[in-house]
Amino acid sequence: MSISLDDVAKSYGRSDGKFALNGVTAEIPSGSLTAILGPSGSGKSTLLKVIAGLEQPDRGRVCIEGDDVTDLDARFRGIGFCFQQYAPFRHLTVEKNIAYGLKVRRRPRAEISKKVAEMLELVQLGDFAKRYPAQLSGGQRQRMALARALAIEPRVLLLDEPFGALDAQVRAELRTWVKNLHDQVPITTIMVTHDQSEAMEVASQLVVLRDGRIEQTGAPGELYDHPATPFVHEFLGPTTTVGGEVVRPHDLVLRRQPGPGHQGKVTGVVALGFEVRVEVALDDGSSCWVQLTAHEFAELTVTVGDAVAVSPR
Amino acid sequence: MTAIDHALFPAPEPRPVDRRAQGSWGRLALRVPVIGFLVIVVALPVGYLFFQAATQGWSSITNQLSQAQLWQAVWLSAKIALWAVPLNTISGVAAALLISKSRWAGTKVLGLLFDLPIALSPIILGIALYAAYSDLGWFGPFLARHGINLFSVPAMVLASCAMSLPYVLRSVLPVLEELGDEQEQAARTLGASAIRRFWTITLPTIRWGVLYGVALTLARVLGEYGAVLIVSGNQPGVSQSLSLYIGASYDTNNPKAALVAAVLLAAFSMVILVVLAVLKRREKRILVDQP
Repeated sequence: MSISLDDVAKSYGRSDGKFALNGVTAEIPSGSLTAILGPSGSGKSTLLKVIAGLEQPDRGRVCIEGDDVTDLDARFRGIGFCFQQYAPFRHLTVEKNIAYGLKVRRRPRAEISKKVAEMLELVQLGDFAKRYPAQLSGGQRQRMALARALAIEPRVLLLDEPFGALDAQVRAELRTWVKNLHDQVPITTIMVTHDQSEAMEVASQLVVLRDGRIEQTGAPGELYDHPATPFVHEFLGPTTTVGGEVVRPHDLVLRRQPGPGHQGKVTGVVALGFEVRVEVALDDGSSCWVQLTAHEFAELTVTVGDAVAVSPR
Repeated sequence: MTAIDHALFPAPEPRPVDRRAQGSWGRLALRVPVIGFLVIVVALPVGYLFFQAATQGWSSITNQLSQAQLWQAVWLSAKIALWAVPLNTISGVAAALLISKSRWAGTKVLGLLFDLPIALSPIILGIALYAAYSDLGWFGPFLARHGINLFSVPAMVLASCAMSLPYVLRSVLPVLEELGDEQEQAARTLGASAIRRFWTITLPTIRWGVLYGVALTLARVLGEYGAVLIVSGNQPGVSQSLSLYIGASYDTNNPKAALVAAVLLAAFSMVILVVLAVLKRREKRILVDQP
């Protein structure tokens, strides 16, 4: 269901008068998987907690599905929230963790056990129902937290740095898994992350946050190709400067001289498997780098000291 | 009281020691003074106490154990503990919740106030309680007009509460701070009310910490002497707790009675010590990951 934020601000009463959120207005479409992306301290976790009702904004309104929920306690908002460290109930088994929200809602016992079984199946933890959280791996704990949040059939799913506490391999697996899960259970999902590649891979919409303000909102490709500000440009991927203009290093064409564009000399070649980075000192005194595929580089065969020309694609 | 010392100065976690790096002389130089000190301060006197109590002869022991005043003292100590321990458990848990949740700096002062009574000498606290609530004190006449006389058993409960005030708080607060409030917030998003969150999430996660604090409080309440002595009047059979009975017997040249009663109290304290060790293990098991 859609979520709309209207001029949301939150200061935490800091003495320097700085805002954690400084007038955030955004529309999160129904059924989307949106990533709130920003560096640490940009206010993204605070924004998530304001949507959840775990933090109260100083001003502004939060609407879920057209209902103004700003003054509604987190208990009644119908949201599923997954904490960065998953916040498992350590004294309860996996199945009791998942059943918690349903017991609070006083569902009949048969319905609860049916739903728990369904959730265990969904997150592939069927064999771990009787285990305690302390006996699970990080990835399993996260899936348990997701099952616990989804069991109450929330209107909105909120994930705070869902992959932050995992090692690289598990993280890559879970990204794909979460994306597939969202296809199976198409519930409006907002995740908070500081990792741009994670956001671009998983989310259908990005909200880039900086110092408590929204820099830009849109589809990942749109933001990547048409960043509204230098900050978004640099935050979403590598950049380099040619002739005073900020461009993506893979949007540059490298030719041997004579060629069009900015003239210069190769000062370094870094081969990273499929990708090769060529560093160029330009005649105007600046330097840039060009990103080539290994194939492009093999055809070009430049080495350090060669005279080259760099031009935008 | 060994149980109390154990809590105030908890033994540091054992670290894996690289035995090659540390020469046997170095280890010896550490062990001998530590063990020697323990023997002089604790093992010898307590061991001698048990020895002396045991060697006075079976008939003498049974004679001491059949004294009505001894069992009246035991019963009074139990009664005081039955009041003081629940009172301090509730106030300690409440204070721990308050301090762990509050972002306000003033709650730090609250924690310090909880620690104050055991930092003070018991005799100071006893005099303070007496001065405040007796007929001569500030609030005594006011209480008397409303038909309340705190002396002596209620005052003994108050003194016992004061002297064991911080134990539950100090056992529970670190657990709460370690756990953070995320579990509770997760329960909130799942729809649980504050009361339900307390009973189903907070209390079960701190239960071993609470029990640890209860055991410490109990040990302290039973062993308390100074503050209780001041406010009690120390009347045999009426306002004489077990520790006061031991003191009185000793003072009145009845060391045999004092010894038997002392062994009784010491044995109970040792049981509490063992219970504490078990609880500490349990607490660890719930907090430490074991995938």
